[in-house]
Amino acid sequence: MKTKKNATPRPIIATRKSCNASGTGLSHYVMMDTKK
Amino acid sequence: MISEAPQRSTASRGLHFNTGSGSTLQPLDIGHASYLGLVDPDTAFWALVQKDKLGEAISPGPFLDEYRRKAADFAAEMQGFRFGLTPSAVYFNPTERCNLNCSYCYLPEDMRQNGRHMSTEKVLESLEILKHYFQANLPTGFRPQVVFHGAEPTLNFEALVAAFERYGNDYRFGIQTNGTVLADADYDLLMKYGVAVGLSLDSSIDEIVTRTRKTWDGHSVYGKVLAAMDKLRGYPNYSVICTITRENMDQLIPTVDFFHERGVATCMLNPVRCTRQGARDIKPKDEDISRYYLAALERTEELFRQTGRRLVVANFANILIAIQAPQARRLMCDISPCGGGRSFFALSATGDVFPCSEFIGLPNFNGGNLFHDKIDDILATTPFKLVTGRKVEDIDPCARCAVRHFCGSPCPAEAYEMNGGMNKIGAFCELYEDQVRFALRLIADDRQGAYLWENWDNDTKTSFEWNAR
Repeated sequence: MKTKKNATPRPIIATRKSCNASGTGLSHYVMMDTKK
Repeated sequence: MISEAPQRSTASRGLHFNTGSGSTLQPLDIGHASYLGLVDPDTAFWALVQKDKLGEAISPGPFLDEYRRKAADFAAEMQGFRFGLTPSAVYFNPTERCNLNCSYCYLPEDMRQNGRHMSTEKVLESLEILKHYFQANLPTGFRPQVVFHGAEPTLNFEALVAAFERYGNDYRFGIQTNGTVLADADYDLLMKYGVAVGLSLDSSIDEIVTRTRKTWDGHSVYGKVLAAMDKLRGYPNYSVICTITRENMDQLIPTVDFFHERGVATCMLNPVRCTRQGARDIKPKDEDISRYYLAALERTEELFRQTGRRLVVANFANILIAIQAPQARRLMCDISPCGGGRSFFALSATGDVFPCSEFIGLPNFNGGNLFHDKIDDILATTPFKLVTGRKVEDIDPCARCAVRHFCGSPCPAEAYEMNGGMNKIGAFCELYEDQVRFALRLIADDRQGAYLWENWDNDTKTSFEWNAR
C-alpha cells in the first residue's frame, strides 16, 4: 500500500490520550463487548 | 500497590533531558524515510521528529518545555497503570478436559484427556464467591468479566448455561471455544445471553489447520469450526484467534483474506506461547514470523481500503493503542508487569487459583483454592508475587529498551519455563521491536485508523498534542 503524503509534513508529531484503565484481555482471549 | 517502579532521582531540577534528573529521550530508528522516533521509555511518551529537525526538537525550546510540564503526570499514569490496578476479570476453566489435542496447548496432556469437570453446583458457588469479592473491590455498578476458557469449556456447557441464567446481570460473560462441540441451538443461547465468543482457527486451509489442531486420533475439525463461523457471522461479540506457528506463518495473508471474507471483524494473530515443549517445537524464528506478520497486517489495510470494512488484528491494535493511549489497551500481556494476578486471575476446574490460565499446568504457580482461601490472601502469595513482581526494569535487555512499555516483555510463563527465570525475556523480542516500529510508521503517515476499532478512543481525553508546524 502506498503511503499517504502530507501536504505539509509536520516537523514533530506527538500526541497522547489518557483514560481510566480497564484492560483485562490476554493473548488467549479478547472480549469484544463494549458494554461496561 | 503491589510493587514499585524505580523512582526518578530528584538530584537536579530536571531542566535538561538526558542529564541529571531530566527526562531520558531515546532516539529510535523506525524505518521511515522522513521521521525517527523520540521516546521516554519510563513514561511511554513518544514523538516522531523529521530527521533534519532532530537538533531543533532536542534543543531547549517550547517542545521540550511542554513535555517537561507533563512528564510527571505521565509518569504517575504509568505508575498507576502498572502497579495500582485491582482484578476485574476471571479466566474460568469449568473443565480440565478437551476433545482436541492441539500441539501447542499450554495445559498438560494428561489433564486434558483424563481431567474432571467442575460440577454445576461448584460453578455457581464460584461465581457467588467471586461476586462478593468484586462487589467489595470494584466501583458500584461495574460488571466484572468472567471468561470461560480451557481446555474446552463447552464440554461442560450445562454448567455454563446455569451461570449465564443466574448471573447474567452480575458479569459480562465471554467464552473461548474450539468451535467443535456446540450445536446451532447452543450458539443461539450464547447469542441470546450476549456472551462474547472467541473461536480458534489457524488457517484457511484444512490440511494446515490439522497440522496443529486436531482430535486425539488426529482427525480434522476444520469443517465444524467453519460451521460455527457461519453461525456466528454478524454477531457483534465475536472474534477469531489464529495462533502463529512454523506450520502456518507463511499462510497469514490468505488467512486474513479468509477471515475478512467470512465477515470476521476482529481477530488475533498470536505468536504461539512457548510455555510448553510442544509449542517450542513449532516456534517460528523472530525474523520469519515478523516478515509474514507485518505483511498480513498490511493486507488488512488493503482490505479495508478496498471494501470499507475493517478486520482488526486485536493484538497489533493493542500495541497501536498502547502507543497512543497507554492506559486504554485492552490486552494486558504487553505491559509490565503483565495483567496476570493483578487485572485478572485464572480459576481451574478444581477451584485452584493461578495468576493466568497460562500457569494452570504449572503447580508451582498455584496460589490457593477459591473454596478454601480468601482471594486477597491468594493474590498476596509468593506464586502471585513472582508474576506481579516481574518488571521490565529487572530484565536484560528490557531495562535499556526504548519500547519496553509498548511491549511489556511477555510472557512470564514463557520466560520461566523456556528461558529459565522471571528475569528473562519471553519468546518474541524482535517481533515486538518490529511491531512498534511499524506502528510508529503508520502514525507518521496517518494510516493507523485502518488498524483500529472505530471509536476506540471514546473514553479517552487528549493529554498531549503538539501542533506546531
